[in-house]
Amino acid sequence: MVDIVPAYHSLAVFYDVVKIKRRYQIEVTAYDFVRLFTEDLIGQTNTTIVTKRDVITIPVYYNGADLDNVAQQHQLSTAEVIAIHTSSSYRVFMIGFLPGFAYMGKVDERIATPRHAAPRTQVQPGTVGIAGFQTGIYPLQSPGGWQLLGRTPLQIFNVQKIKPCLLQAGDTVQFNAISKTDFDKLNEY
Amino acid sequence: MSIKIIRPGVQTTLQDSGRFGHRSIGVGSGGAMDIFAMKAANYLCGNEHNQAVMEINFPAPEILFLQDGMISLTGAAFSAMINETAVPVWRTILVKKDTVLKFTQPVSGAKLYLAVKGGWQAKQWLNSYSTHLKIGVGGYCGRALKKDDVIDFPLNRFSFEANRILPWHIAQHELNKIYEPQNIIRCIKGTEYNWLDDTSQHFEQNIFTISNQSDRMGYRLNSSRLALQHPMELISSAVDAGTVQLLPDGNVIILMADHQTTGGYPRIASVIKADLPKLAQLNPGKTICFTKVSIKEAEDALISMEETLTGIKNACQLNLKSI
Repeated sequence: MVDIVPAYHSLAVFYDVVKIKRRYQIEVTAYDFVRLFTEDLIGQTNTTIVTKRDVITIPVYYNGADLDNVAQQHQLSTAEVIAIHTSSSYRVFMIGFLPGFAYMGKVDERIATPRHAAPRTQVQPGTVGIAGFQTGIYPLQSPGGWQLLGRTPLQIFNVQKIKPCLLQAGDTVQFNAISKTDFDKLNEY
Repeated sequence: MSIKIIRPGVQTTLQDSGRFGHRSIGVGSGGAMDIFAMKAANYLCGNEHNQAVMEINFPAPEILFLQDGMISLTGAAFSAMINETAVPVWRTILVKKDTVLKFTQPVSGAKLYLAVKGGWQAKQWLNSYSTHLKIGVGGYCGRALKKDDVIDFPLNRFSFEANRILPWHIAQHELNKIYEPQNIIRCIKGTEYNWLDDTSQHFEQNIFTISNQSDRMGYRLNSSRLALQHPMELISSAVDAGTVQLLPDGNVIILMADHQTTGGYPRIASVIKADLPKLAQLNPGKTICFTKVSIKEAEDALISMEETLTGIKNACQLNLKSI
């Protein structure tokens, strides 16, 4: 196995065709070999076992460019939007789009807002946004179409670290509202 | 000791065969666009397959050697000159200190690989020398090379009098196996192939033009539009180099080395791995046709490419012993 990509409803397995053919001296394709092997493994897996991991708390200074817009669309105050976004914990469903970009859910329908039709050309790293029922954090500066609620001072993706990515699929995340002063104190960017 | 970039090219980066095992955190493999030419370049100067090489586009850089070195050029032909002498591609060349290597015009192909004995000294990130341009990490300072950049390579262990093109080369018929016929790209059906309407399922009858919006992330193709049977939304799932996605406007995109790890567009086909080197050498404006093959044929082609590379490696080792 060379790599895996867990996503919402799928798991992709990457394998080295040449190595598998040579090592197992098989007549069937490496694809069939890996497919049968994987299906066999899935058959043996007890799906009720879930490894419990700690809840990861992510501080957010809620000053995002779309905070007012999201509040207006749902006839809420910005304080209510923040209260709702921080009231539940979220599951990391998958990481994709950008290195370290965690797709999380499920966002309360009282604040769920579709993404912008035209994405912004530049979103700052650490920016927390929502898109429909999903919430996420931009790990790097990039274009982005999500509704921006605030920014975390934590470096979500740090190339200096051996494990560069703070989050992984299956994690539980809790956002915690902080002040501008706390943001400046904790700022890792 | 090292080389110095006198004039930068349009996008010269250090690459190897890519980084593996990090897709689950959104970091794709990256690496050389043309893995065949990248490995062949390493073998021609006696390296292991995975040393860092320079991936060069045209306009290409002008490079000054600050020490003697054994180099090789593979992939695209850009009319390479060492000082005022023309040097062919797919060859090993001994280069003296103070020599200037430059490229005067593009003749064929898109990506040229420049390897040096001992490998370009670069910074690994997640076990790979490949430059990740988006994050700005790996390779040389995580970016394309600029004027006055100095890149080191290990000292040569033998001495030579003058610049010299070594007498062996990679046979044209070996190269033809990889790169010909140039515009026929083999693919297997993608996971969402059956979503296509009846006409679109015969996309191998279309001619696709590689558009100007093509880079290391992907090639956008222009053709008559393809369509789904019904509008369907795909939940984001894994993609790979070679994945052919159908965009909402009916055009398709082939993902290349620096692709994202996941995507939400229907995956109608996958270019077979053995044809990615061929695709990497096609410039915008070129046309291609797809032809569908079985998974078995795709695997056999990849194994055949690997055998060709092993042959090149063994021949190079033998030849290099003789000097």
